[in-house]
Amino acid sequence: MTRSLNDLRPVYVVGIGWHRYQNPSETPYVELGLTAIRAALADARIEWPAVESTYVATALLGMASGRPMLRHLGATGAPLMHVENASASGSTAFRHACIEVASGISDVALAVGVDKRNPVRRPDTGIGNLAEDAIVPFTHFALLTNEYAVRHNASTEDIARVAVKNHRNGAKNPNAQRQQERTLDEVLGGKRVSGSLTSLQCTPIGEGAAAVIVASEDGIRRLGVDAGRAIRTTASVGRSERVYPPGAGFDAALTKETADLALAQAKLTPKDLDIIELHDAFTVEELHYIESIGLCPEGHGVRMLKDGALDIGGQCAINPSGGLIAMGHPIGPTGIGQIGEIVMQLRGEAGPRQHGGARIGLAHMVGVGAVCYVHILQR
Amino acid sequence: MQPHKLLKPGLYSARSSDGSRTSARLKGGRCRCGYVFFPMQTYGCERCGSHGDALTPCELSAHGTLLAEATVHLHADKNRPAPFTIVKVALDDGPVIRTLLAEDSAPVAPGQRVTGRLAAIGQNESGETVLDLRFCIAS
Repeated sequence: MTRSLNDLRPVYVVGIGWHRYQNPSETPYVELGLTAIRAALADARIEWPAVESTYVATALLGMASGRPMLRHLGATGAPLMHVENASASGSTAFRHACIEVASGISDVALAVGVDKRNPVRRPDTGIGNLAEDAIVPFTHFALLTNEYAVRHNASTEDIARVAVKNHRNGAKNPNAQRQQERTLDEVLGGKRVSGSLTSLQCTPIGEGAAAVIVASEDGIRRLGVDAGRAIRTTASVGRSERVYPPGAGFDAALTKETADLALAQAKLTPKDLDIIELHDAFTVEELHYIESIGLCPEGHGVRMLKDGALDIGGQCAINPSGGLIAMGHPIGPTGIGQIGEIVMQLRGEAGPRQHGGARIGLAHMVGVGAVCYVHILQR
Repeated sequence: MQPHKLLKPGLYSARSSDGSRTSARLKGGRCRCGYVFFPMQTYGCERCGSHGDALTPCELSAHGTLLAEATVHLHADKNRPAPFTIVKVALDDGPVIRTLLAEDSAPVAPGQRVTGRLAAIGQNESGETVLDLRFCIAS
């Protein structure tokens, strides 16, 4: 008989921190990562030696990047491991930190994501391909945009509104790479990238770091952590792509099955969600994924968007951080930063971008390849 | 016809020629479980995990229906100067593939019938015309 996270002992997020996501710079990754970790320790009001285990999420730094960073916190000898799972690296690190604490192996664990934008190297499987060198991620999603637009009679303007909302949210987030409101005309008039996608509808290339500390109830008591600011992780699910019917979009199908499992684990329905942080690397994804998660029937996402239902203060705030489009997507940090945003929102500490009365949040990431991770957090 | 060379002979073969354009067949595979895939490989079936003799080569028709298209305006790789158009095609024989639209093709839209042909993309050092798969509207 297997068990889910919810069947194990409760695990809480007790500390969150970032190094702002930013354009590529000369700042070494060590400084990015340490800034986020020290912020998370300060937020939890605990000291580094209390951390019993560390998961370092990074996709682009190269082998064994963790110890050269962590040693500057004081080398405690605690275990550390590196997690690479494409865009979902941070989400995966968070899941395993939660599992370690929930299982009773540790009382306090850290998940930290850090990345610099180095060239992406994909493995050679030995199987040939027709033109994969010509189909980078933005073209994959430009194809999905074309399919969505035709199937649901959505206009280029309709889809671009996702970017207008997320830039508006990012403008209120001091940790966002892009902190500027954009009009629909600005979004549509930007540089054309692929298909109908313009540059402001695509996640920027960047760097940064995010850290979260998770703890058990024993750990919270022993370290004197403020239990009133601790946010429980009530579901954690990871999945990978299966074979779907020909022509079915695997991104949406994989998200649906992962989100369904997470909602079942937390005994919730999509209507219960106050906040969703999701993988909006490209505008069309947000529409696909809110429909896959079950906020509305397929093809109805544009209506919710236009009605303001997805705004901060609306029915369910989608990407209040600004999402990957505005907050940014430095790869390793991204999934961990989503958890931090939801924790901030559920604590009521999100300041000008606070979604009022937020009690339940869902974090979603996909990673090329393809994997999907969903977590649910509850106050 | 001039001497020619296929750019990726492991993926497709020339079928017949009608002058400037050559029809293509795709080198796919079929598993004992019935799953049809492209390209052929012997590592194992994505649907059922069978490998070895369970997987056999299977020629696929290059006819299909367009699912999506995207004209790429920005592309970092200098070997693929933009603009070019990528098409996602549901082959009549099952697999969904993504590759380039022929440069001389009329604009395409989802739902249209398309077909893959071998088009000249340049010459190699020996002076042979190099052919690669490109899709265009089915005639």
